[in-house]
Amino acid sequence: MDGPRLKKILCIEDEYFISELYVRALRRAGYEADVELDGQKGLTAAQTDKYDIILLDLMIPTVTGIEVLRTLRDPAKTPKLHAKIIITTNLEQRDDVRADIEHQADGYLVKAEITPRELVEFLQSLTA
Amino acid sequence: MSYFERFVRQFRARLLLVILLNNALILAGWYATDRVLKLTGWQEIAAIIAIPLLTLVLLPWVTSRALTRPTKFIWQAIMHVSPDTAADMPAPDPKQLRLGRELVTNLVNQLYQLTSVVQKMEHAGSEAAQDLHTNFVANHLPLPFIVLSHDDTIMYANEAAATYLSKPATDLAGQNVYTALDMSFTSTDTLHDWLDTTKDKAAAADHSWERVRIGLPGSNNSKQFDLAAHYNQGNPLGYETLLTLFDHTGTYGQDDQSLSFVALAVHELRTPLTLLRGYIEVFDEELGAGLDPELQRFMKQMDAAAGQLTAFVNNILNVAKVEDDQLSLQLHEEKWPEIIDAVVSDLQLRAGVRGISIKTEVASDLPTAGVDRYSIYELIANLLDNAIKYSKDKAVITVSSTLNKDGLIETSVRDSGVGIDGSILPYIFDKFYRSHQNRSQIGGTGLGLYLAKVIVEAHGGNIWVQSKPGEGSTFTFTIMPYGKLEDERKATGSQDITRHAHGWIKNHSMYRN
Repeated sequence: MDGPRLKKILCIEDEYFISELYVRALRRAGYEADVELDGQKGLTAAQTDKYDIILLDLMIPTVTGIEVLRTLRDPAKTPKLHAKIIITTNLEQRDDVRADIEHQADGYLVKAEITPRELVEFLQSLTA
Repeated sequence: MSYFERFVRQFRARLLLVILLNNALILAGWYATDRVLKLTGWQEIAAIIAIPLLTLVLLPWVTSRALTRPTKFIWQAIMHVSPDTAADMPAPDPKQLRLGRELVTNLVNQLYQLTSVVQKMEHAGSEAAQDLHTNFVANHLPLPFIVLSHDDTIMYANEAAATYLSKPATDLAGQNVYTALDMSFTSTDTLHDWLDTTKDKAAAADHSWERVRIGLPGSNNSKQFDLAAHYNQGNPLGYETLLTLFDHTGTYGQDDQSLSFVALAVHELRTPLTLLRGYIEVFDEELGAGLDPELQRFMKQMDAAAGQLTAFVNNILNVAKVEDDQLSLQLHEEKWPEIIDAVVSDLQLRAGVRGISIKTEVASDLPTAGVDRYSIYELIANLLDNAIKYSKDKAVITVSSTLNKDGLIETSVRDSGVGIDGSILPYIFDKFYRSHQNRSQIGGTGLGLYLAKVIVEAHGGNIWVQSKPGEGSTFTFTIMPYGKLEDERKATGSQDITRHAHGWIKNHSMYRN
């Protein structure tokens, strides 16, 4: 099978069952996938710079998703990060707030509007 | 009579006595020389001169001693209370005096009293200086400023802090700081933890935190600020930890103004929805092929229902946003046929569950449209959703687009469903309006058409309906070509044309195009 070059994905998501669905679909599509259930742990994992894609939920405990995004995009705090950051959230925002987030991230998806397979297709189109 | 007068009297009496004694001694001496010793000639003259000379020495010595002793005592007392020499000079004991004892005792007591008054004044002066500092300076500081004791109790909060926390300063004083300020931090580095590690270990330390929050996000008294703390161990006045708050509720608050009730509810609704859609897809992939047709159809209907639920949740949220008058549309130049195709292909999946098909008749020579892609998608999707809902099984829905005689892009969604009664038609675009005839059979929130109207009018177009009960309905709306909007863009000088008052959930499928 001509799968994608093996890519490592970090899923920062506090709803375990949602992460389980995503990881299942990602692994079946040939990706490696890890999950962190809160912001602080997710931030630490992301800053190791060993992931190619980071799926970041916004409503997460300890450190908020927005704070994680800011820290990852701050060169002083995260000197090296090659990963694409995709916001995956069910949170609704004001347009200007959302625009600001989208500007800092490489994609913005509403989880309730996509299925796991659609997520995989989206990521494949990103990395193709 | 004062002590001093008494002393003078005593002294004069003493002096008189001494002089009398002195004279008596001289006379006695002369008498002895003449009659007793019977000295004559030069011996007699020498004795007569020597005797007064002796007494001349005796007299001053005795009187000077009487005067200098009290003076010495007073000198000793002064040296004793003077700050420079106090250590070297013990207090005098006037009981050792005989002449002028009362005077000296009295003077020494007065001296001690004076000294204690001076000390009190000095102390009061420094207290006043301190009061000046805390009450005047700290109170007029425009930054909220709080002082904590060793056990984290608020010892002092200035006026700015009282105003900021909406509590009188007297209420704050004496409260534990964590009770008075229910703070949340953006990480596990909290004030409490920092104080725990710093207290009693460092002589002095500073730390700061960004985006500390008090109050629930989205509530009226929620505030966000940066916090700076200075700790100093064993401060003699008990002022161990000083806190300063720098308010940033305005800028930080924008991040969570969206967390209103509706947004929170939507978030809660979406979580199980995400799971449902995910599991449905999994079962469809794993089992779909092997199921018999009826069960396969049920699978597809589950998927459709989940999709509908998502759309309804979006609608509810959009209406809330419209109410709030938040957000704005960004109008861009778009190819109209592409937009129609995208919506139709998404909705075709839902329609196909009941065998309904959607046909498109889009004129090939349409100009580009000036639209907000996401909200226009929402509009057409709502119209199609209605058409599907009110159509019979296996019906056909037609979407057609042409350029009308006014130069506007006119789009119609035609169904052959139950149709709308004439009496209801005028209200059909109102919020929550659902004809009671239909409510029991067909689900819906009555928001779709309300939103459709809002979107179309925000784009500068119009929407209307033609319908006949039993034959079906045709909803038509107009959209301005991009060319017409160019003028407006030139006038405002911006890249996009922004329209206000409504905000939209951007549907994911748009990212695919």
